[in-house]
Amino acid sequence: MNDIIENIKTKGMQKFIALGALIVLYIAFSVFGTNFFTVDTLVSIFDASYYIGFLAIGVTFVIITGGIDLSIGTVMMCSAIVGGTLYNNAGLPLWLCLIIIILVGGIFGLGNGIMVSRLKLPPFIATLGTMMVASGVGSIVSNVQSTTFPMRSAADGWYKDIFRTADNFPTGIFVLIAFTVVAVILLNKTVIGRYTFAIGSNKEATRLSGVNVQKWETVVYVLSGLFAGLAGIAYAATYTTILPGAGQGFELQAIAGVVVGGTSLSGGVGSIIGTFIGVFIMSVLKIGLPYVDLQPHYQTLITGIVVIGAVLLDIYRSKKEKSVKQKS
Amino acid sequence: MRKTKLIASLLALWTVIAVLTGCGGTTTSQKSVEVIAKGFQHDFWKAVKKGADQAGKDLGVKINFVGPEGEGAIAAQVEMINNAINKKPDAICIAALDTTASLDAVNKAKANNIPVIGFDSGVPGAPEGTIYANASTDNYKAGELAAQKMFEAIQGKLSSGKPRIGVVSQEANSQSISMRTQGFLDKMENLIKSTGKTVSIIGHTKFANGVSGGDVTIDIAIPPEINDTQGQTSAQTLLNKNDLIAIYGSNEFAAKAIINADAAISGGRIGNDKVVAVGFDSGALQIDAIRNRKFLGSVTQDPISIGYRAVELAVKAMNGEASDDIDTGSQWYTADNIDSDTIKPLLYQ
Repeated sequence: MNDIIENIKTKGMQKFIALGALIVLYIAFSVFGTNFFTVDTLVSIFDASYYIGFLAIGVTFVIITGGIDLSIGTVMMCSAIVGGTLYNNAGLPLWLCLIIIILVGGIFGLGNGIMVSRLKLPPFIATLGTMMVASGVGSIVSNVQSTTFPMRSAADGWYKDIFRTADNFPTGIFVLIAFTVVAVILLNKTVIGRYTFAIGSNKEATRLSGVNVQKWETVVYVLSGLFAGLAGIAYAATYTTILPGAGQGFELQAIAGVVVGGTSLSGGVGSIIGTFIGVFIMSVLKIGLPYVDLQPHYQTLITGIVVIGAVLLDIYRSKKEKSVKQKS
Repeated sequence: MRKTKLIASLLALWTVIAVLTGCGGTTTSQKSVEVIAKGFQHDFWKAVKKGADQAGKDLGVKINFVGPEGEGAIAAQVEMINNAINKKPDAICIAALDTTASLDAVNKAKANNIPVIGFDSGVPGAPEGTIYANASTDNYKAGELAAQKMFEAIQGKLSSGKPRIGVVSQEANSQSISMRTQGFLDKMENLIKSTGKTVSIIGHTKFANGVSGGDVTIDIAIPPEINDTQGQTSAQTLLNKNDLIAIYGSNEFAAKAIINADAAISGGRIGNDKVVAVGFDSGALQIDAIRNRKFLGSVTQDPISIGYRAVELAVKAMNGEASDDIDTGSQWYTADNIDSDTIKPLLYQ
């Protein structure tokens, strides 16, 4: 019983620190940044958070199982480019293309899942391979040409309203919150979530207790792929033109968000809400740093320091947690 | 377990087939030219390839056009140059991502007696005699052209208060983009000075002129990473400054960043009677912005000509003829001449 109370205390503490950091950052940029504290800037922070947010939510599941998914960045771009090419060259209706975008992400996820769970490839290697495969597939499908989704003025411009209306209302934040809630429920209230944590805590014990580990591990990677597909839609709606061969680096930004949000890379521990906050910390930094007139190289430096700091904090926290447990 | 083995062996078989079919090349006695571009991401390179292929057909040489995945992949490109040299072609055309990283490879080509032709940004700063000739846009001149056209549009606004001119530059390392930014800055500074005003250039150490508190400020924003989010943020910080009267994006990426950033600001900031926007190159978004008169106009290079001239130079080099560098030219286009016969073939979606 004491254990549980202790657990809630420390876990709540981590989220509290992350949320506090987010608020402090936002206030600091508002005070020191020129014209940072405006609705338009806030909408831009949201814009920068949608696609990274979807990527991060999906990969949180994988990371909790003790795995990693490095392919999400290029899978996101590949899905979007497949959808865009089908729309422009094959004349499919846009709604169908958007569904295909999500499915393409899911297919890559399934590939990752099979490689990791059945073929026993280390997740790092399997998804690194998929990262390159997705990048290549995107280039091949698009014939190495950039794909332009319909602009807002075009007849099919409605899909942009999913994330931002013509009057600059950030509808996307509700979409992101809705999917966050879905993910929270999946992780905390369903079998998927239970087994996700179980696999991450002790895979062998989970297997021995009769759980079909292979199946659930695959499901988790598929989930990550589907979210990468969703991210592809968000990216297309926000930036309109998709370049082939792009997307590398976004997976690390998403993973950084997850880690800043308190999910442990060694598995077994993590939360979706934490990821949500972590993603926003990264976005506020990304959007805010240029507003205080910092030169680009300093922006990169500071972002790196924040990620390292967050992980250090996490390690310190879990150490403390352990020592508390040992004492009691 | 048997299932696992089956899947694994199927995968292995598939790999073998892929490798075999991929390697089924043919050999001919035709002269060959290896062309190493900066990447395929931007449609600009598709147009360059079109020109190179056309020249290959016209002049009867075999063209192998390659490029790394993205414009950040310096190491991958150096490998491509080395591979190209190992194939012992009759000439190599290079658009170097990074000059210094490519120098070893260029020297190696020289040692192997393979002539090297620079195109697009070429291999600036390469030692005397290693590069046969360059086929490229004079990017400095092209930047000046953008400044000239912008200055004509904002001349009347320079005296009200202390106005700011924004510049979005994709990066500060690439020679071609730096020169476009530099050409713009120098020309704009001189034009404004000729009206008796002082100019401060701020925002990036490489371009800053060390003058503070000038009558006109030119503010440069360079994103820390080359991706759409960071580009848009850089453009938006400029657009959010109230004293901004004009903004320039020195390539397709930067122009796109400005357009996306503007779309994210309620009511929009750019337009011919608001903040004057000038771009570079083309692409679907930029062409749309020019047609809708959000952009005053843009400078375009002649990518088809760059590809064509590069191969033409390569053939001259094989035949032992001497040649000078070729400026493949740049043009100013607006909503009014975008569909004209001189401009239309130079633009890409």
